[in-house]
Amino acid sequence: MNKRILAAVAIVIIVVAAFVALWQLNVFTPAQTINIGVVAGMQTAEGQDINRAAQLAIDEINAAGGVYVADLGKNLNMKLVLADTGDETGDTAAPVTRIITDQGVDVLVGGATTGGTLKDQIPAIDNRVPYIITGASLNLVTRRGSLPSDNALYVDDAEGMSYMFHYCTTISDYSTTVAHFLADSVRPAIGSSRNLRLAVLYRDDGYGRGVRDVTTSIITADNLPIDIVANVSYATDATTFQSPLISVKDSKPDAVYVAGFIADTAEVIKEGINDVGLKSLYIGVEICEDPQYYDLLGETGNYQILESKIATQWQGDTWYLPKVGTYVEDYTAKFDGKVPGMLGADTYDAVYIYKNAVEQAGTLDKASVRDALEATDMPQSLLIMENQKITFSSGTNYHEILPKTFIEQMIWVSDSGKLLPYVVYPDSMPGISSFKQADFALPPDYEPGSP
Amino acid sequence: MITAGLAQALLFGVANGCIYILLATGLNLIFGVMKLVNFAHGQLLMVGAFVAYEVTTVVGLNPYVSILVSMGSVALIGIVLEKFAFRKIRGTDKLNEIFISLGLIYVFQYSATLLWENSYTIRIPSPLAGLSVPLGEVSLSYDIILAMIIVVVILIGLVFLTKKTKIGLAMRATSQKSDASMLMGININRVYLFTFAVGAALAGAAGAIYGILFPFNPAIGALPTIKAFAIIILGGLGSIPGAVVGGLLYGVAENVTGYLTNSTWQNAVAFALLIAVLIIRPTGLFGEKGE
Repeated sequence: MNKRILAAVAIVIIVVAAFVALWQLNVFTPAQTINIGVVAGMQTAEGQDINRAAQLAIDEINAAGGVYVADLGKNLNMKLVLADTGDETGDTAAPVTRIITDQGVDVLVGGATTGGTLKDQIPAIDNRVPYIITGASLNLVTRRGSLPSDNALYVDDAEGMSYMFHYCTTISDYSTTVAHFLADSVRPAIGSSRNLRLAVLYRDDGYGRGVRDVTTSIITADNLPIDIVANVSYATDATTFQSPLISVKDSKPDAVYVAGFIADTAEVIKEGINDVGLKSLYIGVEICEDPQYYDLLGETGNYQILESKIATQWQGDTWYLPKVGTYVEDYTAKFDGKVPGMLGADTYDAVYIYKNAVEQAGTLDKASVRDALEATDMPQSLLIMENQKITFSSGTNYHEILPKTFIEQMIWVSDSGKLLPYVVYPDSMPGISSFKQADFALPPDYEPGSP
Repeated sequence: MITAGLAQALLFGVANGCIYILLATGLNLIFGVMKLVNFAHGQLLMVGAFVAYEVTTVVGLNPYVSILVSMGSVALIGIVLEKFAFRKIRGTDKLNEIFISLGLIYVFQYSATLLWENSYTIRIPSPLAGLSVPLGEVSLSYDIILAMIIVVVILIGLVFLTKKTKIGLAMRATSQKSDASMLMGININRVYLFTFAVGAALAGAAGAIYGILFPFNPAIGALPTIKAFAIIILGGLGSIPGAVVGGLLYGVAENVTGYLTNSTWQNAVAFALLIAVLIIRPTGLFGEKGE
């Protein structure tokens, strides 16, 4: 009898000890992670790129030991939590609301289009979740509190808006580069003393109209020798563009600035050159810095222009920024040879920016992290910055960055059957010794406009 | 006065109209003979485009030869649809065929999305891309010229089929009086099967030509279906000449509107044209009373 009691007590002690040991090892308690909410439309190539880039950054950070959170006294791993916004045209707020309320994400990164982001940032604003917006070229996404109160997009919540950060170039950034490139490089190449005749062909949405308006403002403000001879819009769901291109052709432009996305810009250029006979110089914007754009254009894109902020297909022996080279190599190695796009690069940086903010704040508390994001002062990463640092503006510039963009000219290499980009403007960039790769040249069959 | 821009818009309108003609003629044939409303007809255009794309890019066939492959493939699909879907519900409530065709829209579209995962539009590469005929200040690409010629050839073949062959005679008889045709010994099942196959083949041809001239993706089938129905109503239900004229009018109205105003208005004006014609002539341009 005593032996039985002793045996039973021993068993109980062993079981309790084992339970306590396993508890200490967090077997029963799920390991705490930092939940990174990634806002990406998985029906789009841009969204898939954002998701892949975020995953790459998270995996790198975890492999290096995670994020040190001082008030917990330990490192935590990051975990990607996807808010799939589909094709970005529907209800983008619902998936974001879900990951905020159901999965308690600590931060949001991503957001490709302005239209989608203006919807999906609302739950972030309401719930005070820091959102590093890595797309959306309209700076409205951080300036909604400054709109007139009767504007449908006005947000009367300064505290909530303070959680929004815009790590992306804006229409103003890249339209400035385009306008000055036209004035400094294209007009002299045409060799005419008159003003350069520019046609703007734009998507009939907030983004396209924004490009149209900002381009006009920049030309006026900087007194550039450019006349806008046509502003022609096309429906956002258009897949053919012959009619608007004929209108553009009527205006006899020297160059056509296309404010569209990847598929429409590529198709505009192909139809313009092949179908309508508008053998002009076409300028696409940085959202087209994606391998699919080059594939879609093919040989038709020879000598055409792309404004960009990250040269993921840099043609040179050494990368202009070592970090860009590493990113491209790691991304292609991890994702079956896929070349990264522009929005993914922003998102990759955003994850590291958040990591820095948490480590500076020493906590996951969202208000403290928000404050730390505001005080971000990091070396530039994948985007070239004016002061070679990642900082967010305060005051009237509302958590925006100071990026530098550049112009690439695409050249068709018949041996390889590929369209490859070469930087033609500007001559130099802050901190980069050798950046410009070639002089701009007009396309061989270029036909200038005329008054 | 016709400016160069307007002339170019008119020419493109005629080119677009050629695609609508094929699509609407096929739909008209099916409706005229079988009295069948097939809302998935535009999906056959989409399938035709993808078949032509695959045959051109994977097998290396000339895209204009691939039109024949598209026609054959989509005709076979049409045969399967008629025999195993629409025939089963023939004679039952009209709603059944409407729901079957609506369901087929999603089946085709999502199947295509699964097979061709592209989120971007693609185009069938043409060896004539970039080549055009200058006509003063206007230019017309070789692809568009060839597309127009092919449509004319197909229509001539269709007229020959319906007017000069036994099966064509059977189709015409069935379209007028199906019961009497049966009594006269015409195999209605065979006529319907053949009609649906021809209608589908025309949609396949429209798709292949569309894919050479314009970019496409799995979602392109919806709007052409609506336009095709509008065209056959505009031209007159069951009237092939009506489908031809209606298709041309539609294509020109769309393109000229897009050129003169804003491409956002293209679709709206084309349907406004339909409304205007129906108010003036409710049976359509070539339609007959009682249809």
